[in-house]
Amino acid sequence: MSKDGSVGFLTTRLDTIVNWGRKNAIWPLPFGTSCCGIEMMATLCSDYDMSRFGAEVVRFSPRQSDLLIVAGIINLKMAPVLKTVYDQMSDPKFVMSFGACASSGGIFNVYSVLQGIDTMIPVDVYVPGCPPAPEGVLHALLRLQDMVAKGETHSQRALAAKRNSGKVLRTTSL
Amino acid sequence: MQNSTTDKLNKGLPESYSIEHDPDDLWGDSRIIVNIGPTHPAMHGALRMVAKLNGETIEKSYCEYGYTHRAKEKLGENRTYHNFIVYTDRLNYCSALINNVVYSMSVERLLGVEVPERCVWIRMICCELARVIDHLICIGINAVDLGAFSFFLYGFHQREEAYTLIEKLSGARLTTSYTRIGGLAGDAPEGFESELKAWVAKTRKVIDEMDSLLTGNKIWKKRTVGVGVFNKEQCLKFSHSGPNARAAGIDLDLRRDQPCMFYKDVEFDVPVSQNGDVFDRYLIRIAEIRQSLNILSQIADKIKKGPIWSEDKRVRIPDKDVVYNTMEGLIHHFKFFMTGFSVPEGEAYTQFEAANGELGFYIVSKGSPRSHRMRIRGPSFWHYQSLSTMVQGEKIADMVAALGSINIIAGELDR
Amino acid sequence: MDVRKPIATNGGYWLPKFGDLWKTQIEALKAQFGKAIEEVRMPPDYPTDVPIVYVRKDEIVPVLNYLKTDSKMDYGFLADLTATDEQKEPRFEVVYNLFSHSSLCRIRVKVRVADGDEVPTAISVWEGANWAEREVYDMFGVKFRGHPDLRRILMDIRWVGHPLRKDYPLKGYQVFADAEPVDPTLLD
Repeated sequence: MSKDGSVGFLTTRLDTIVNWGRKNAIWPLPFGTSCCGIEMMATLCSDYDMSRFGAEVVRFSPRQSDLLIVAGIINLKMAPVLKTVYDQMSDPKFVMSFGACASSGGIFNVYSVLQGIDTMIPVDVYVPGCPPAPEGVLHALLRLQDMVAKGETHSQRALAAKRNSGKVLRTTSL
Repeated sequence: MQNSTTDKLNKGLPESYSIEHDPDDLWGDSRIIVNIGPTHPAMHGALRMVAKLNGETIEKSYCEYGYTHRAKEKLGENRTYHNFIVYTDRLNYCSALINNVVYSMSVERLLGVEVPERCVWIRMICCELARVIDHLICIGINAVDLGAFSFFLYGFHQREEAYTLIEKLSGARLTTSYTRIGGLAGDAPEGFESELKAWVAKTRKVIDEMDSLLTGNKIWKKRTVGVGVFNKEQCLKFSHSGPNARAAGIDLDLRRDQPCMFYKDVEFDVPVSQNGDVFDRYLIRIAEIRQSLNILSQIADKIKKGPIWSEDKRVRIPDKDVVYNTMEGLIHHFKFFMTGFSVPEGEAYTQFEAANGELGFYIVSKGSPRSHRMRIRGPSFWHYQSLSTMVQGEKIADMVAALGSINIIAGELDR
Repeated sequence: MDVRKPIATNGGYWLPKFGDLWKTQIEALKAQFGKAIEEVRMPPDYPTDVPIVYVRKDEIVPVLNYLKTDSKMDYGFLADLTATDEQKEPRFEVVYNLFSHSSLCRIRVKVRVADGDEVPTAISVWEGANWAEREVYDMFGVKFRGHPDLRRILMDIRWVGHPLRKDYPLKGYQVFADAEPVDPTLLD
């Protein structure tokens, strides 16, 4: 980035290369709580095999992963835990809301259920279904990869906005 | 003994967290409190355990749950009996079909509705199919927790094949909502029996393979034999049922002892073991899968064509032909789905041997289309309660084995 | 079948098998405890699947103990422990569903309890009643006398009200900013 704030050739090219890398090496953190967790396992297992798309290394530590898959119900007792896990992940981080319960509360509009995780954390991709079929999850992953390549996810946009404001000089850590 | 380092560490911590460190005795009295869960790969779904460790040994622990509470009992009081079928899927989501069947059965008993023969046979297929896939996932996950990943893949592939069958029945993979009160959502398609038989034959082979892969494995035995022991008396104290109780020597299977549906007409054994440890629970589940496959192949021979709906006008969903072509049919359809049917006053506790143990629906009706009280007795609730007692004095790594072996399903635990 | 007068429950299925056994058992129970048994509802007369024995609140533990240990009864398995909100006085009924592994029959014991009253805990009879009683406390607010650890179990410990009471709204959300803390005193 040059001094007047315009983005130079080298930086944009570098961003494209880094995003290409990010896109093809997504490390998911499965936050599976209920029924959707079983379908997520089906997606990761040999029949559907999510590793074909580079999302092979499932990490259970938020510090090692960049895609938070919220699979299943998040109720009001669990919600602060989800927020903590999200905050612990390092930028840039992506969120997939897996299934009706996580996206909107689904058929459970009751006293104990959070009505959609997007009331708490920014969500990049929603997967409809109760629970979604593995094909839907793979489609969502591909869609997310497109977004990552273009830098359109919430987290990447926030970083770009920060960078353009001039407060942060370099956000791409190599 | 306190020194400046531990004082620094203790600063700002509550009294009970204090680190007492004796430089001369490194491992003697180093008790720490470890919080496991609610989002931990070993805590299936969303369970939480807080343990006080002495070295690696669990001295005392307590378990918590409620992180997936979805108020299904409250919803049971606010939805009509027909509406509530979809919520029963989300109880034990590994074997949703059994929940559908037991719920429909319990409302039918309150109503006094009899279902035709073919419907009962298909429901039995549902129960046994669900039992097999539930056990497959239980032993698979138990093995994954202890490091045997390929074993899990064998089982899960066979589960996918079973999903194909279930999709043919109900159109859904996991949350089926297949049964209706007084019938089924749809008949089994043409040629379903032969496909079921082919699946049974293939699963038999896979189970043999899985058995030879893991049962004799030295590491597996070392991790499981004598771990998480729960004997017969303890099982009765904590109301264990199903495979966990049978692993400890309680010879009880509600399919055999309180037969409902046509379980009297099929032959099967009830495997019972004596030791009550993780290894025995694994063996019982393997044996039960084989028995369920036997039952499935018998049913595939016995099932005949016929109606799948009860003739009772109160519960029967009007045919689409009548709904689209007559005024009365349309009104009937509208009233059925908007108001629902009334269930006469009374109460009943209906139970059945689900994959995990005794699944019961205690329904109190006051004569309206909604129940007065819908209590769901999930077996996981009573099993999870005993986890603290089960792992007391064992190593922290053995807790993972014990938890995997009692097959806690968060949906049915929290309801 | 006459649809207007249906068979209400599955008492019809089990009555021929266990009817006589239930009668002798309930007579023995009445002879043993007398006035502690408030009321008995038998299947053909009342729409229920198994007999319901209403027991006076303070004598519930000896009755349960008798049902569990006596050789004529042998109800050794606590199938379920729950409660219902009856919306009249006394407000709640605590329900014990018992099952006998030897004779394979079931019986239901109920205790009527007013709002704010206490029921003696059944932990001395079945250790597994612990969590079930905690859940009844959490969901209905019925307290159990002598319970060692009567905390909320399904809901957050900071929750106000009891969700399964009929006057609690279905959508009565209560949001908390941070997770439920670890309670180290439980590990002493």
